[in-house]
Amino acid sequence: MTLSAKSVETGIAPVLIENSPVARNVVIPRRHPGRFLAVVILGIVVLQVLQAVVANPNFHWDIYLTYLFAPQVIRGVGWTLLLTVVAMSVAITVAGLLVILRDRDNPVLRGLAYAWVWFFRGTPIYTQLLFWGLFAVLFPTLSLTIPFGPQIITVETKYILTPALAAILGLGFNESAYLTEIFRAGFNSIDRGQAEAAQALGMGQSKIWWRILMPQAMRVIIPPTGNEAIGMLKMTSLVLAIPFTLDLTFATNAISNRLYQPIPLLMVAGTWYLAITSVLMVGQYYLERYFGKGVSVHPARAE
Amino acid sequence: MDMNANSSEFCVEMQNIHKFYGLVHALKGVDLKVRRGEVSVAIGPSGSGKSTLLRCINQLENISAGRIFLKGELQGFTERAGRFHPLTPGQIAAQRRLTGMVFQRFNLFPHMTALENVMEGPSYVKGWPKEKARAKAHDLLDRVGLGGLGSRYPGQLSGGQQQRVAIARALAMDPEVMLFDEPTSALDPELVGEVLEVIKNLATSGMTMVVVTHEIGFAREVGNHLIFMDQGQVVEEGYPREILEHPKNPRTIAFLSKVL
Repeated sequence: MTLSAKSVETGIAPVLIENSPVARNVVIPRRHPGRFLAVVILGIVVLQVLQAVVANPNFHWDIYLTYLFAPQVIRGVGWTLLLTVVAMSVAITVAGLLVILRDRDNPVLRGLAYAWVWFFRGTPIYTQLLFWGLFAVLFPTLSLTIPFGPQIITVETKYILTPALAAILGLGFNESAYLTEIFRAGFNSIDRGQAEAAQALGMGQSKIWWRILMPQAMRVIIPPTGNEAIGMLKMTSLVLAIPFTLDLTFATNAISNRLYQPIPLLMVAGTWYLAITSVLMVGQYYLERYFGKGVSVHPARAE
Repeated sequence: MDMNANSSEFCVEMQNIHKFYGLVHALKGVDLKVRRGEVSVAIGPSGSGKSTLLRCINQLENISAGRIFLKGELQGFTERAGRFHPLTPGQIAAQRRLTGMVFQRFNLFPHMTALENVMEGPSYVKGWPKEKARAKAHDLLDRVGLGGLGSRYPGQLSGGQQQRVAIARALAMDPEVMLFDEPTSALDPELVGEVLEVIKNLATSGMTMVVVTHEIGFAREVGNHLIFMDQGQVVEEGYPREILEHPKNPRTIAFLSKVL
């Protein structure tokens, strides 16, 4: 047995070269005729569908191209994105608070968290949005009052609860109920020993949540939350119930009603929803990779 | 005299500890005294209450009756006129800093590297600057023989290496007492030695320790004091060599005949 530095090809670790080199097995790759056949059939089907859609005058591709980047449409994309991001942020904040409340010893706070989830999950989102729109009708003025005492400030509701704010709160509060359950599942998935180890170090409760439990729960929380974010993107089209009239679906519907051409504008809206979803999925991939540290299913970066 | 402190020479003093889980009487009046620098070893069959006893010391379990003193300070409560008033979570967290604990299943934080695991206590509990905590963590990893592995995540370490990181993590808080809860029970047989070696060195350096273990050889070699527990009670205690070689209680004799 000799160590031959010259014959080392990898350049990383010295390799012991045996006097009699190993004769590796000659492996002939298996053939997969079935796969080849499947690809051919699939290719033909795809080409046919493509032809049926692209060459079809009923799709009105000229109208599609005209309106894909129209100013109303782009503005609708902007509002839809804004509603999605802000409503999702509201939902994440509220759900974060609720999941901590559910873990409290205080039964009143625990009950509050239960009741919130029960109500917002138990009634339809469309109905909730209608009521957010009717809020100004039901309560024309908002006033800060000392109980059984004088009023301090009074404002008309319509100046505070604008349609945009109603849309954000309506979507955000509804979503928070679902996210609470997702977060709870995430925190429940962590071994009890993690919190105990942190306690044994003398760590306080809030630091245990923030430094030990949250980063680990994220691994479980992110995939379903990504689902919810993508769902939220499309749920924003329901804000016409308020009515909020600047989002993408409302914008393309308005154009198609004017042109009597629903199909190309549905395609326009669909294209944009698909594009935004793709961007959100990329963001989710990087979030998953970041929080997958130490247990990642994605290839780890070199240290 | 202040009822919340006793001026004894004991680092750990447990008086008449009882623990109920619902109707199960898990600890039935246990006393334990550990002097500074002493290694106290608890052995006994599973379910005998030895782990529960250990977890009461750093208040991972609440006791139902009795008193625990660490360095003379009553743990978990202030006592006024015979009544116990619970401490705040912050005060309990502060008391836990007197002890360091090593768990059977390591319980390393999987999202942090070995070095970050060891730094966590000094940085985020003591509030040390990052560089100081890092230097200390490096020293401790060297001390447990893992100098080059600081950048590995727990999932990339063997069981024995993980447990040694866990020991370093506990030591990073400069505890007065180290608590070991069956530190080698989850390890492959060939990895037990490296962990016991680290614990042995710690004992030699004068660390006060309470060790729950099934390693009878280790108890004999390192322990200054041995307690044998069964069904929530201390059945026999004394010098390890004496008890292991000449057990008097029939339950001790029966247990030792099975494990030796």
